[in-house]
Formats: sequence, structure tokens, C-alpha cells
Amino acid sequence: MKARDMLSAHLKNRLTNLSQAKKEGRKIIGYTPGGYLPEELVLASGAIPICLIRGGDHSMVELAGAYICRWIDTFCRAQIGYGVSGEDPYYNIIDLLIVPVTDNHIRAVSDVLQYNTNIDIFPFGVPHTKDNFTLKYYLHGINRLKNRLEELTGVEITDSRLRDAIKLCNRERELLREISLIRKSQPSLISSKDFVALNHGSLIADKKVMVEILESTLKDLKKQAVVSVDGPRVLLTGSTLALGDDKVIDITEDSGGLIVIEEFAEGIRPYWEMVKLNSNLMEALADCYFTRRIPPAWFRPGKERLDFLIKLSKDFNVSGVIWYQLMYRESYKTESYYFPDILKSEAGLPMLTVESDYDAGEVGPLRTRIETFIETIRR
Amino acid sequence: MANYYDELLRLCGFEDEEINKERFRIEKAFQRLEIGSQDMNLAESWIRQNHDLELRAVRKLLGIWLKELIDLVLAKDEGKKLVYYGFPTIAGPAAAIASASKDVYCVCPDVVLCYTMGQIFNKLTPILEAGEENGLPPGHGLCSLQQIRVGGMAKGIIPVPDLVLTSSYYCDMGSKADELLHQKYGHPAVYADGSMDSKWGEFPNYLLQRANFLGEELEKTLSKASEILGIEITTEARHEGASRSKKLFGALRDLVELMKGTDTQPLSIVELEIARRLTSGSVSKRVMGDGPNIIALLNREIKERIKKGVGVVENGAPKAMILMAHFSDPSIMRMMENSGLSIPVTVHTTLASRIMKTTPFIAGEKLAEEQLERGPFHGSYGEIKRAAEAAQEFNVDGVIFNYLFNCRPIAMLSHLLKQFVEKQTGIPVLSLEMDVYDSRAYSAAALRTRVETFADMLRARKASSGA
Repeated sequence: MKARDMLSAHLKNRLTNLSQAKKEGRKIIGYTPGGYLPEELVLASGAIPICLIRGGDHSMVELAGAYICRWIDTFCRAQIGYGVSGEDPYYNIIDLLIVPVTDNHIRAVSDVLQYNTNIDIFPFGVPHTKDNFTLKYYLHGINRLKNRLEELTGVEITDSRLRDAIKLCNRERELLREISLIRKSQPSLISSKDFVALNHGSLIADKKVMVEILESTLKDLKKQAVVSVDGPRVLLTGSTLALGDDKVIDITEDSGGLIVIEEFAEGIRPYWEMVKLNSNLMEALADCYFTRRIPPAWFRPGKERLDFLIKLSKDFNVSGVIWYQLMYRESYKTESYYFPDILKSEAGLPMLTVESDYDAGEVGPLRTRIETFIETIRR
Repeated sequence: MANYYDELLRLCGFEDEEINKERFRIEKAFQRLEIGSQDMNLAESWIRQNHDLELRAVRKLLGIWLKELIDLVLAKDEGKKLVYYGFPTIAGPAAAIASASKDVYCVCPDVVLCYTMGQIFNKLTPILEAGEENGLPPGHGLCSLQQIRVGGMAKGIIPVPDLVLTSSYYCDMGSKADELLHQKYGHPAVYADGSMDSKWGEFPNYLLQRANFLGEELEKTLSKASEILGIEITTEARHEGASRSKKLFGALRDLVELMKGTDTQPLSIVELEIARRLTSGSVSKRVMGDGPNIIALLNREIKERIKKGVGVVENGAPKAMILMAHFSDPSIMRMMENSGLSIPVTVHTTLASRIMKTTPFIAGEKLAEEQLERGPFHGSYGEIKRAAEAAQEFNVDGVIFNYLFNCRPIAMLSHLLKQFVEKQTGIPVLSLEMDVYDSRAYSAAALRTRVETFADMLRARKASSGA
């Protein structure tokens, strides 16, 4: 895919470009994934947002063992490893790390890095329920963030700048959504691996370049001839799908399964909702990023997301669900106990739960389980 | 007519007249709990071995927990509106709800099961196993306190409540386990939300909006409870709830002061904690009414011991502070004391004894301020800072940070607390991974070597500093 090559080339030079931008006085803002950081605020301040989404490497998880016990989510321990070691160069280049505090695992990343590194960290809270009080607190958090960004960059985030940033980010979401929806068709025109690469790319790439890449991708896809690929359609869901954590997608595709839709709390940029260009833009951001965002499993109750999964499984006509969770993320583990019954009764579908600690030794057993599942659901 | 359980109940401070009067209820509850004559020898020897039965107050403390267990098991049979609240954060609103109607029984069932089925009967394992089989499997670092709640309901020994009050700002697991139970049994849950978004070093300051938010959420639990239970939670009920809590916390504060003021540890940490946990395990009229009197009796008995110079550990033993005591297995705390450590108090008990000093009234915002000022609910730094302050205040020789592996807010401090406390105070810290609800994997035997070595090190340090 031509667009994929464009993205690879862009990401290859991304660090160099960021270093150059930094030399020219622009600020680089890192943030933890989860979909609760309105990138629009960062862009409107003239800074560059970079989502710290790398994972899948067990050596970083091991390294974190010197700073925290092992009972914390694998991806979060990996972030501690990257942060303290500087093995992920993006950690070394950022001027500020924004941590939308979603649960205790993400809070652990914030606290351990604040204590053990010189990274400047700005935590702000994401409540776990949806009501007027929680929305107000989220809005308060992003307003604090706006002030912090203005202070850091010396740029006032005016309505006009914010409006432009929202339009750009809406365009990116719109394109991702349009590309994703193409996968409703049978057979799918884009593999999960390619779609996830685009989605991950959007978390790191320059926003304008990314929009161009997505536009080009969409154009290519519309021209592309339909190639019949046989295999059961699968919904892949879970807590975190990090950049570099490819094994479940690879094994599923190698086993003949077609992942046609992904739903993750962390690692997949939410693209279903757009920011409405209201008169109060901060409220519009809160409305999109908090109120209308399909919440992860650490929201209570988690019904909204589970209903959404049922809807996705029907809309994308899947034959089964693979639930991929990382070790010790208790919200996902708990839901994985009762969701299969709901899925069975409401959509008549089976579910496979797999778990990872980013250990290479997992690949064999994982392959056996996924292959067996794909064989079982093959129609 | 005497029965198989009479002797055990006497050891737990029951009067004969009381036993005779309550026989029907006791037997009905024991039957549901699968407690029979075959369990009595084990229970009697377990409590004789691990509890200081010479003290009348200790017997009464065991008794009050046992009475709570019986009330809990029979609550629905006896027509009560049953409200469960989540540990550790939401006892405040529960106290106002309990004071609003005599028909409401408000309790944290998992804590009651720990202090009875664990501390008295040493029979928690089947309940934990039922929890593991019903949604919270082993091997995933899931909270064992929640396994006890899930297991208790799965086995039918604790009833399905009319309402659950659950918090979602400190612990991620409790509210999720309540959701699992709601899925299975359909009872309503009210979530008190909040946010743990402090910056490192921010404590004791906090954003006003954060306190307002938590306050509004706690206030919401009261209005929702009122609506669901069909009761009015009046101003008087709020005053009554605060007044009852204040008495209990006041008695606890006196107890902590006594422990602080003497070098001869007059009371095992096991007993101090069965008293302390009354402040969070139940807000029943019995606990809030009789609890302060029993702790006051304990305080009088301790004063006698102090006067006579009687201690439960060797004089001059190095003093250590632990984060929190084991809820269900007293043998672990005994093992620590038998290793030659004097453990006058836990970090969490010092924090509990600070609160309810000024609150005349249960209101969301007041409770929120208390929660934030306490430390742990403010953030990691708040919890660690308070631990360092407590260690200095009690002038201890060492700290055992016995972190619960399956409790994320505590487990995330596994390394931070040791580093911070040692750096700030110079007091050595043993970071000891364990579980304080389930001792199957982290038994006294499994922990002994590390604790004994730490005790030896503290003794050597103390001797060398004395020399």
C-alpha cells in the first residue's frame, strides 16, 4: 500500500523532525494513551502531541521490576521501563508528559515516573462514571491543562486556534472512521494490521501529514479491486493494543481469521465521535472526549461499552470475539467473566479470552488457542 | 439446654442468658454458614492460640463481630433493608443511612466475614474458593476481599442486598466486583466517584474542585440511597451518624494514644486491630453503640497492664510499624510479634484515629475533606508521607510495609514507600509482599524468614546505637 509506505517514511524521520522543531522552540508534549487527552489543545498551543504507545517488549517490563512490583498492568510497567531507561526516545524528547489518570495502573506510571525521573508530569483526572458532577470535573481538568499548555508554550489558546485544531482532528477521525467502516463490506479491503498501523501512526505522526496519508489511503481503497479472502470475521477487543504488540493480530491472520474491527481502551485512537463546533469549545471537547466517548472497562457500570461491542459485532457481521487483555488489569479481567454470556445471548457469538505479559514464551500457547478458536468459528 | 457452641460463645464474651435467648437465631445462622459441632474444637483452639482472652474486652470484641455475623446472615429473614458498602472508603454516608431507619442494616459484609469466619473459625477458605469459582479466579492478582464478598453470596451465606454503595476513586476492583454481582443478582449499586489525580508532592494541599467533586458524589449516594430504600435521611440522622462515629473514633484515638505512650507493648496488634476495624466493618447500632464502650473497657484493662508493667512482647524489643494488620488470619501478626518485634500500631490505624475530630454532621463535602486530608485517598505521595510521619511520631525502629499484592493503590507503592520513608526518616523499611485477607499463599510460615531477619537486623541496629 502506497500510503503505508508514506507513513513508514514519515515515522522513520519523525524523531529527527521533532528534534528540529524543538530546536526551533516548539514544545513536544507526550501523553499516555486512553483517548482522554484532547490533542486539539496541544495543537492549538503550537506544541506537538506525541502519544507514548510503544509496548510489547518484555525487557521493558522486566526493567520496571526495579521500580514497582509485578502486579501492575503489563503496558503500564513497560511505560515505567521506557520512562526510566530512556529506551523509548520519545520519552527523552518530551517537554511535558500529560497523564489523564484513568485508573490505578496509569496512576502508577505517573507516580513512579514523577519520583524516579526528571520528566515534568501533568496528571489530570478522568472520572469513572458519567453524570453532571463527573463531566464538570473532567472539564475542570482540561481547563487546567489549557492553562498549563499556555504557560509552557507562551501561546494563548484562542477560540480561533482551537477551532482550527478541532477541524484538523475531526478530519483525521472522520477519515479513520470512513476507512474502518469499509471493513463492514465482505470481503474486507484493508487488513487489521494495516488499519492498526494507520491508527497507531496517527498517534505519533504530524497531524497534517497524517490527514494526507489517510486521504490517500481512502482514495486507494476506493479504487482497489476486491480480492476474495476467505476466513471467519473477528472482533478484537481488550485493554491495550500497543505499537509493537502485534502477536495476536499476526497469529489471528496467520490462522486464517480476519480481524475486521478493533475496540481498545488504549492504543486505538477513538474515531467514532466528532467534536461539535459549539460556541463553547472547551465544553465541546468535554462532550466528545468524555460524554460521548465509549468508556473503557474502568468505567462503572461498564454496560455502555459492552452494548457497543454487541453492536459492533452485529454491524461488522463477525463470527467471534477475541478478548485480549494484559495481565493484572482487573477491570477487563472481571468483565471477561460475564461478557461471554451476554455476547452469546444477545449476538449468538463465542468469545476467546487471551492474556499477555509481553512474554515471548506466550506465543506458542497463544497460537494454539487462537488457531483452535478460528477453526471452531470457521463457517 | 447447653449446646455445642456454648463454650465458644462464652469465650467470645457472650453471657449465658444471651446465648439462651438467641439460640434460635444462632443455630439458624450457623446452619447457613455451615458451622457445626465439628468446627468448635478448631475454633476454640484457634482463638485461644491467637487472641488475648485474659482481657474481657477482647472477648467482647470477638463477640460483637460474631453478633454482626449473625445479624448479617439473617438480615433479610428478619425483614431488614440490607445495604452493603464497599471497603475502605464509604463508611461515612453509610453511617447516616443506618441512623435514618431502624429497618436498615448497613454493613461491609466481606470485612465481617474476615473478622469472624477467619479470625474466629479459621474457615474462610471455602468462601474464597467460591469467589474464585464465581468470577474472580486465582492467578490474576484480583482482590481477595472481593473474592470473599462474591464467594459469600455465591454460597448463599450472605444475602443479596437491597442496595450496594460503592466507591470508585481509590480502588478499581471493588466497584467492578459489585458490577459482577449486579450482573448476577440484579441488585442496584450507587457509585461514588472521585479522582486520584494529585501531583507528586502536592499533599496536603488539594484542589478545591476535587473536594467539591468528591463531596457531590458522596452526597449523591445519600440521595440515591434515600430514593432506592424509600427512607428519609434527615438532618437528625446525619447528626446521629456523625455523633455515633465520633464516639467510636474517639475511643480508638484513646487506645492509640495509650499504645503510643508506653514502651511496654501492653496489647497485641491482633487485638488492637479487631477493635480498630469496628470503625469500618459495620455501622450498625450495636457497633456504633456498644463498640465505644468495649474499646473503653479495653483501654481500662490496658492501663492496668501498663501500671503493672505487663507487656505482650519482650521488654526492649525493637518497635516496628506495619501498614495494616491481617484481617482474617491473626497467626501472621502473632508470628511478627513472636519474631521479637513490638508492633504498637499500624499506619492505617494512626490515620483512622486522626479523623472524625471535628465533623459534627455527615455531609458530602466534609467527608470529602476528611478523605483527602487523611493521605491515602489523596494520592500515593499522601499515603507515603503519612506513613513517614506516623513512623516518626511513634518513634519506631523499623517499618514493615506489608503491601497487598492484589490491591493496586497499595501495590503500586511497593518500591516508592521504602525509598521515600528510608530517605526522609532514616528508618529501615522491609517491603513485604502479602495478602491481608487470604493467607493461603502468604501464610505465617511463608513470611517468617523475612520478618525474622528484619527483626534481627533491627535488634542489631538498636544494640549498636545503644552501645
